[in-house]
Amino acid sequence: MIDRGGSEALDTCVHCGFCLQACPTFLATGDEADSPRGRIDLMRALETGELAPDDPALRLHLDRCLGCRGCEPVCPSGVGYGRGIEAARAMLATRRRPPALARAALRALTSPGPSRIVYALARMLRATGIPRRLAGWGRFRFAMGMLAATRPTRNAKRGTRNTRAAASSAFRVPTSALLFRGCVMDGLFSHVHDATVRTLGVNGWAVGETPGQVCCGALHAHAGLREEARLLARANVAAFGEGDVPIVVNSAGCGAMLKEYGHLIGAAGFAARVRDVTELLTAGGGPRPGAPVDVQVAYDPPCHLLHAQRIADEPLRVLGAIPVLRIVSLPDAAQCCGSAGLFTLLQPAMSRAVLAPKLASLRTAAPQVVATGNPGCVMQLGAGLAASGLSAAVRHPVELLDESYGAAGYYA
Amino acid sequence: MSLLDRVRALLGDDAVEIASGPDAVPRVAPASPDAVALLLGTARQEGWRVRLEGAGTWLPADAPADLALTTRRLDRIPAVEPQDLSATAEAGIGCDLLRQQLADHGTWLALDPPGLAGRTLGSVVATATAGPLRHGFGPVRDHVLGVTFVTGDGRLVQSGGRVVKNVAGYDLTKLEAGGFGAFGVIVLVHLRLRALPRADQTLVLEGTREDLTQVAEDVAAAGLQPAALELMSPALARRDGWALAVRLAGSAALVAAEEAGLRGASGGRFTALRAEEAHGFWMRAAESFATRPITFRTGGLPDSSDELLDLLQHQVGDEWVSASPGVGAIRWAGDTTVDRLRRLRRTLAGLEVPLTLERAPWPIRSAVGHFGAYREGVGPLVAGLRRTFDPGEAFVVAVEGSD
Amino acid sequence: MITAGLVEALTGIVGARHVRTAPAERLTYARDGLPTHRRVPAVVVLPGSRDELAAVVRLLAAHDVPFVPRGAGTGLSGGALADGAAVLLVLTRLNRILSLDPSNRVAVVEPGVVNARLSAAAAPHGLHYAPDPSSQTACTIGGNVAENAGGPHCLKYGVTAQHVLALEVVLADGRVVELGSPSGEPWGPDMVGLFVGSEGNFGIATRIAVRLLPQPRAVRTLLAAFASLRAAGEAVSAVIASGIVPAALEMMDQSCIRAVEDSVYAAGYPRDAAAVLLVELDGHSDDAVVAETETVHGLLSAHGAASIRVAADARERERLWQGRKKAFGAMGRLSRDLVVQDAVVPRSALPEVLEAIGRIAATYQLTVSNVFHAGDGNLHPNISFDARVPGLRTRVDAASTEIMEACVAAGGTITGEHGVGLDKLRYMPLIFDAESLAAMRAVRRVWDPEERVNPGKVVPVHACREWSGLRIADRGLRIEQQARSPAQSAIDNPQSAIAPRGAR
Repeated sequence: MIDRGGSEALDTCVHCGFCLQACPTFLATGDEADSPRGRIDLMRALETGELAPDDPALRLHLDRCLGCRGCEPVCPSGVGYGRGIEAARAMLATRRRPPALARAALRALTSPGPSRIVYALARMLRATGIPRRLAGWGRFRFAMGMLAATRPTRNAKRGTRNTRAAASSAFRVPTSALLFRGCVMDGLFSHVHDATVRTLGVNGWAVGETPGQVCCGALHAHAGLREEARLLARANVAAFGEGDVPIVVNSAGCGAMLKEYGHLIGAAGFAARVRDVTELLTAGGGPRPGAPVDVQVAYDPPCHLLHAQRIADEPLRVLGAIPVLRIVSLPDAAQCCGSAGLFTLLQPAMSRAVLAPKLASLRTAAPQVVATGNPGCVMQLGAGLAASGLSAAVRHPVELLDESYGAAGYYA
Repeated sequence: MSLLDRVRALLGDDAVEIASGPDAVPRVAPASPDAVALLLGTARQEGWRVRLEGAGTWLPADAPADLALTTRRLDRIPAVEPQDLSATAEAGIGCDLLRQQLADHGTWLALDPPGLAGRTLGSVVATATAGPLRHGFGPVRDHVLGVTFVTGDGRLVQSGGRVVKNVAGYDLTKLEAGGFGAFGVIVLVHLRLRALPRADQTLVLEGTREDLTQVAEDVAAAGLQPAALELMSPALARRDGWALAVRLAGSAALVAAEEAGLRGASGGRFTALRAEEAHGFWMRAAESFATRPITFRTGGLPDSSDELLDLLQHQVGDEWVSASPGVGAIRWAGDTTVDRLRRLRRTLAGLEVPLTLERAPWPIRSAVGHFGAYREGVGPLVAGLRRTFDPGEAFVVAVEGSD
Repeated sequence: MITAGLVEALTGIVGARHVRTAPAERLTYARDGLPTHRRVPAVVVLPGSRDELAAVVRLLAAHDVPFVPRGAGTGLSGGALADGAAVLLVLTRLNRILSLDPSNRVAVVEPGVVNARLSAAAAPHGLHYAPDPSSQTACTIGGNVAENAGGPHCLKYGVTAQHVLALEVVLADGRVVELGSPSGEPWGPDMVGLFVGSEGNFGIATRIAVRLLPQPRAVRTLLAAFASLRAAGEAVSAVIASGIVPAALEMMDQSCIRAVEDSVYAAGYPRDAAAVLLVELDGHSDDAVVAETETVHGLLSAHGAASIRVAADARERERLWQGRKKAFGAMGRLSRDLVVQDAVVPRSALPEVLEAIGRIAATYQLTVSNVFHAGDGNLHPNISFDARVPGLRTRVDAASTEIMEACVAAGGTITGEHGVGLDKLRYMPLIFDAESLAAMRAVRRVWDPEERVNPGKVVPVHACREWSGLRIADRGLRIEQQARSPAQSAIDNPQSAIAPRGAR
């Protein structure tokens, strides 16, 4: 059997079309070429050579896939769409380099040296409050909105990134989980890392650090840069070493990628150790209830948590540990927000079109907070809400739990 | 060779009745679908004008024609399939005979058309005259799985089939059901049946029209789904006031539950009829329509029923009226003029309500037409379909009026 | 002829983004839900409004270009495919619910509205749209109208034709006509009834008024397992003959059960059963539904049900139904390619026909799975195969034909809800004689004289060409009005049934 690089995952498609209404881009355009079924036709034609890798229309529609994998859970015949699209993108990448913007963004956000400077500058800019004031539609103003959305909420407990926030002493145990820091998370969401460490601490997990870890490679793999992704994956596998200590992730996109290392580089053992923070918090009947927080929250599941990792209930159980907090339901919450890694930068028009129905339902539901567990989604939703003049804040579920725990005095 | 000689040569001596009817139009009764085709093919060649008749109890046999084609000898019931709840019957079978045969097999055709009990099946289907049971079981077309018909130039065409679900080809059956014979004469009908209801209960409430309209709304709002829910004028119900008649049919448990629900929704005011009373009540109402010279039906939205009844009362009177407020259908009988009917049809058309003239003497029928005041673009399509199925204009049918 | 000028004019109407000409884009429209047929359209147009659609149709009429309407492309007969000489009109953007009137229980929708979304919109009013094809989460109401779609619950509530009240239709020449009336009472002849199920050959429905029904207040769902197909088939007949009308009565055989149980829609069907029946009873009164459920339970037991499970709650019921509704897609797990068939037989013939299908499968050494609307006698044999194996496709075709012939021989028909499209053309002469087929074609030509809308579907015109009348007509000769035997076929009568296509 020849190695088809993942394309074989598409073979079970019988063209039934049940995926169409689960696809955010199809809903935006109504065009079969922007649907999972249509893209599978394109990928098959690419594999058989009926269409050339440099066919512009083929590229347009494959590039316009968010990679949200919302089609997978509704597929009766179990098509591995995510695997197929990455294989197709890898095939395309052998013929053309990803666009300059994508390469620049990847370098700026994920390479250890430059990204440190970029994030430092971004944090300085964020602290001025200027991005918040500039947030709006249009490429630049939307980017400003995205940056503004990464700012920790004022009443969140302040932690500095080098103090390993002391978990309540009662639970001081040997290292029981290792934190995956990632690139964007570490650069702009260190407050979420702090909240992760603290809330896990309250629930009996001592979270340790792992030197030498790098970006997970998800953005590279989505862009078809498989080799780069494999290099990063190998570096991470080496850094985290052998053993069975869980690796905790608070970014859905990173988590989904790390769980794919088995397919990517054969590191199934590593992949099996990866846990989303909400999985660990809810293990063994948890999490421990905190103090009341009087707030209305809409939970928006990240695609890479819900569809790729099939984690649906755990984040809600984390929010459920916060007394008084009310969850308002969003119609079509399971649909992508249009963030999808670099997609929001590379395909702004489609990205905004996908975001639009989400913002419309948020306007109706009018929550005070939108909770979501992925940095891209936080930024996309935050920028969209700001541009639409909606006041809801976007936060990671563990931030809310952290606030509740702080109020309960668990960190005293 | 005279017309009758030709027909005798084609179909045999016994197919022709001479000097029938007041207008002495010879009546021809073919005994098979093929004979109908043969006759109409010849009619097309000869340019004969043909009027269609069944038992002669519904539409007056008064259209000017060279000959009358009656289906009364097409009266066989080739198949009743109780396990499949389907049957095949020729168009000339009387509804009363058919009903009896079906009941012997434990089955039921859930249609209670107006007119006399001996009306032919073909007449009911061709004119799509449903009765009160339409509320629970749908219009005539919902009971017809397929038909075989003969076109005006003698072609024998099948449509639909014998099974309960069928989308093979265009659904010409829909054109024949309610086509008044303009698109062919139906010779054979495949029917969808139901199991003979184990329980069949009729309850009647008398009162003012306003009061009963409210009760009917309450019944609908309570989610009840009776087989019939009919608001009838005093003359039609043979009561002192208006009557709201409810028929419940089905399993004993279903009927008991619906009856309890009905009593709950109406404050327990309905009176249950005994079985023979109920039979008489519905039969007399159906027959009453055949005793008036003119009958028409209208179809509006359910919540406009009351307004439409007011309109009818104002324009043509409401002595003989039966309304099914749940589906918005109204049937009217009485006597009136061509002008009033035309005006009424125009007024109703403005409200997006069609008026179908079901029966009337030829002078009125031909002037008013069974159909009229079509919506945008429909007229040319109907004309095209008529040309297709009756290219020589052999059938004398007052499809549209002369207005 | 499709010219660059035409494409430019189309772009002028709908905008460049909504005209697709690139080979890659057209390729994604080459198939519908029955992937064994493949035709690449010349151009794909996605109009954004009724007016744009009508303008496009007028333009195509002026250029004498055929076109094919398409909704979600979930059809199962190759009905929504256009070839290289035709323009595909995709209606997914016409997806607004224009009005919803709870008191009269009527909704007016555009053709691209997805079936399940209409029911979702009606749910807050305690109403729903009854026809529920298995593809209801994806298929459009416009497509349902074109195909006269069915679904499990049509057993009690009737197929699409019984729920469509009125239509606004754009004809082949761009004229707009209004069929029916808001209440559903036909306005003149029953043009709505004639249009529904015409598979796009009569025009494009641009506004569709449908009836909504109250959601039943009481529902019970039973799952009964049987040790043989025959026993399950006999149980179906017993339930139907009892006089109880279940809301739905579905059957799945072992192969299908296992495919579903292996999928994300695993419903807990017993894997070792030869067949299961899914029976749903519903109504207004809980007492009545409970009593009917008991009766049905007794009938199923008496006919050899090995086990009977009653869904405990709405969640379990939903799970049982999801397994059934996604069964067709789940068949993708069995093999690379799949042909789904659609035929109806008298319900009493189910046991014999199912056994005949089993024999045919054995003869041709094929995997045939059955999942179908047993209460209607509406069979869906699914043939799983790998088209890459040489000669297999021929065997699949031969087996399909034999299955159709068996169903017709039992008194049935060749399609109950999927339509004729391309796939069933060859079976039409099994059930209709030449006269009846010619009558259908003649009716089509009343709506679309040049046969430009969805050409080559439903009525097998190729067979017509061999008929003497048409051959003469095609040469442009006219048959004189001469005396002829009335028993002669319609083909002899170009004036009426099948007037020649004429010089174009």
